[in-house]
Amino acid sequence: MPNVSLTVNGKAVSRDVDTRTLLVQFLRENLGLTGTHIGCDTTQCGACTVHVDGKALKSCTVLALQVEGKTVRTIEGLADGEKLHPMQEAFREHHGLQCGFCTPGMIMSAVDLLNRHKSPSEETIRHELEGNLCRCTGYANIVKAVQAAASAPRG
Amino acid sequence: MTYAANPKFAVGQPVSRTEDPKLVRGAGRFTDDINLPTQLYAVFARSPHAHGVIRGIDIAAARAMPGVLGVFIGTDIEAGGFGRMPCGLTAPNRDGSAMVKPSRVALAVDKVRFVGDPVAVVVAETAAQARDAAEAVVLDLDPLQAVTTAESAMAANAPRIHDEAIGNVFLDYHYGDTAKVAAAFAQAAHVTQLDLCSNRIAVSPMEPRCAAGQYDDGQWTLHVGCQGPFATRNTLAREILKAAPDKVRVITGNVGGSFGMKAPLYPEYVAVLFAARALGRPVKWANDRSESFLSDGHGRDHQMHAELALDRDGNFLAVRITGTGNLGAYPGQATVIPASANVVKNIIGVYRTPLLEVSTKCVFTNTAPVGAYRGAGRPEANYYMERLVDQAAREMGIDRVELRRRNHIPADLMPYGTPSGQTYDSGEFTAVLDKALLFADWNGFEDRKRESERRGLLRGRGIGQYLEVTAPPASEMCSIRFETGGNITLTTGTLDQGQGHATPFAQVAAQRLGVPFERIALRQGDSDDLKAGGGTGGSKSMVSAGKAIVEACDKVVAQGRQIAAFVLNASEGEITFNDGRFAVEGQADRNLGIGDLLEVIGGGLPLPAHLPQSLDVEHIAQTPPSTFPNGCHIAEVEIDPATGVVRVDRYSMVNDFGVMINPLLVEGQAQGGVVQGLGQALMELVIYDESGQLLTGSYTDYAMPRAEDMPELRFASHPVPATTNPLGAKGCGEAGCAGALPSIMNAAVDALSKYGIMHMDMPATAPRVWQAIREKAPAL
Ligand code: FES
Ligand code: FES
Repeated sequence: MPNVSLTVNGKAVSRDVDTRTLLVQFLRENLGLTGTHIGCDTTQCGACTVHVDGKALKSCTVLALQVEGKTVRTIEGLADGEKLHPMQEAFREHHGLQCGFCTPGMIMSAVDLLNRHKSPSEETIRHELEGNLCRCTGYANIVKAVQAAASAPRG
Repeated sequence: MTYAANPKFAVGQPVSRTEDPKLVRGAGRFTDDINLPTQLYAVFARSPHAHGVIRGIDIAAARAMPGVLGVFIGTDIEAGGFGRMPCGLTAPNRDGSAMVKPSRVALAVDKVRFVGDPVAVVVAETAAQARDAAEAVVLDLDPLQAVTTAESAMAANAPRIHDEAIGNVFLDYHYGDTAKVAAAFAQAAHVTQLDLCSNRIAVSPMEPRCAAGQYDDGQWTLHVGCQGPFATRNTLAREILKAAPDKVRVITGNVGGSFGMKAPLYPEYVAVLFAARALGRPVKWANDRSESFLSDGHGRDHQMHAELALDRDGNFLAVRITGTGNLGAYPGQATVIPASANVVKNIIGVYRTPLLEVSTKCVFTNTAPVGAYRGAGRPEANYYMERLVDQAAREMGIDRVELRRRNHIPADLMPYGTPSGQTYDSGEFTAVLDKALLFADWNGFEDRKRESERRGLLRGRGIGQYLEVTAPPASEMCSIRFETGGNITLTTGTLDQGQGHATPFAQVAAQRLGVPFERIALRQGDSDDLKAGGGTGGSKSMVSAGKAIVEACDKVVAQGRQIAAFVLNASEGEITFNDGRFAVEGQADRNLGIGDLLEVIGGGLPLPAHLPQSLDVEHIAQTPPSTFPNGCHIAEVEIDPATGVVRVDRYSMVNDFGVMINPLLVEGQAQGGVVQGLGQALMELVIYDESGQLLTGSYTDYAMPRAEDMPELRFASHPVPATTNPLGAKGCGEAGCAGALPSIMNAAVDALSKYGIMHMDMPATAPRVWQAIREKAPAL
């Protein structure tokens, strides 16, 4: 089995993996980072979204071996210890989640969105989240949460 | 320590959810996040054909694949003494005979009946090995002709799917007085008729189904996402495992949405338990989304002829619904209720219609079993009625608002007995309608329409005034345990799938007991904790668990009063309880809070044996009646005649959910219901081809609403407390769907009426709308 070495949530990790292992499987099964979810098998739902070298990426559609040497951030790496990331805090405060299954991917996408758009319009937010499905919330409070996070002071 | 309720968390406050800090960190425990020591992985081999006689299942090659420890088929499960998949329903046919209940082995033995029907389970050391081996299972079939629609299944020459079900009819349902209804129609000044479809839905909670089975020395454990571990455990023990209930444990962690779909017992759960016993190791299985589309219970799929009889003044005389429900391939996992009893209960809605008749044939087809989906017949019945009302208004030249007002059940007739046997306790339907018209700026429509037309778009508006008969809550338990250190554990038999029970339940208990909200945690999801539990479904949890919590709190207070009397050296009759404090009547300074009592008990003060030794209680509450949430939703749509694209531009709702324990979460539930309603109205449709192959097998082919498809959802309330449960709450979980289907479709038809189009079925997708416009206005 080939080896893959990368940085995940600030820590260097190295594992031997089956060549067909997807990044999402690597995170969930090899590293036990189960916050990244699997909601589909056609790259449609976004539940698996993580950041690779700072950009949002659907981890179900990339092999673990393809991220050799790269830096991955998952939902578990977003908060600053006890303190939630402003986007996590905004989702919590604005009831931007119900079952919470889409939420990690939704938050990772939303963080990426704000990295690229400083003060996005509602339209931009809705358009940018087109890769993330939520069956529970009706998106209303997700949009509200992203708007709130966009106007929160950023560190 | 201050140990008292903080008004910030009182009933009625929009308290944000206690489970969210965990969930937003990705620290939830969904079933697939659980890995049991030494666990194996299961993958199912499923039928690629919709209908066929099984000649043989060759598992030899699969068995020889690397990592494979076992491959099991239906005959193994039968030989292992397992029971067949249960069907708990009983309803009489219209001729009085009992409905047929063909049995099903968890893995098909004689025939396959839909594409995706599981025929073998392959268990291996890794999921990848199990997947490889499942592909090596060879299914030898004599294919039979397949039927996928109710109509084709009932045709004279249709193949019979189950030997017992003649004409493939599962249930021939009837309600109402045929002669009286016919007489009302005969005398009517006007009859409005519509053929209406409730399109087939892929329920699609974002978390796919998943289960892990364990067997250890006579003790069974199933980890699974369901809607109530108590009922799931009982059915599993009684029907499948033939074991005493205490030998079976069902554990449910976080559930990533269900909407009715995860409620039944599925064959895969039986198979992982069987394999776990056979191999002596835990076995886990997780559905791929592609398999979910094939094997999860679908929703809806009804075709109805709807008729409304009116007198000259537009008074409703009778409503008649006649049609079919496509139930898919097997009973048990399927339910007849959405197409039958729930149409009866909900078709009356907010109107004084004195007579009704409902006739439905529920039939088997070679498609995935059809179960409950958000509302389970409640949104459909409201949809049929509200479409009829708009159509009648158009045909009779009566204003649609006026026609509704004229037929409303007036508030002063409450309590009101409906011809379907319900007793509405409360409701102010005309006030709700008036408030919604204002809230939606109904009168400003013409200006907005002109503006749309300037941009070359059609604009229409639609009303959906609904009333839902929520499920009668089953008996429900609440236990309250005071932990050392002052934390409080509530346990209920309801089960959260995203609704957010923990917060409102704690709000109720904190207020009733005068204890800190922050100290209360909710325990759900372990059948070993439960003595009763109706689970969660049919919009009943706040009502059923709410009643149980209130009564359990009363018991805590009763016990506390006895202990306080002893500590305060007073008689029990002298002790009052207000705002969390026990006091000697007339001597306010002689008082104790619950926190003080806990310290006394915890401090080891010996209590006489005849007194309760703690404040802990376990309580089972009896069933309160259904509640009748209602409301009026108003949608405005824009349609581009060049493309047929329908877009909801404005959406406003006024709802009566009685007393809202936590309005933040209630609004969230309403929004979630509306998005699912919008999906069904405009986008979603499961399609099988004639041979029974599923054409909509992924999110590329099955359109579910995304953020961009949703308008802003404006929410307002007209709460009229329910009088039949101690909290005054009315179920809110499914109402969004009931308001959205009719309001959006009435708006679409309203816009299209410009071209003389008087009817449009769901989903009103762009190609369908474009086609309808072209037929009426070819030159466009
Ligand atoms: S799991 Fe990656 S997009 Fe759905
Ligand atoms: S919160 Fe359940 S899928 Fe988004």
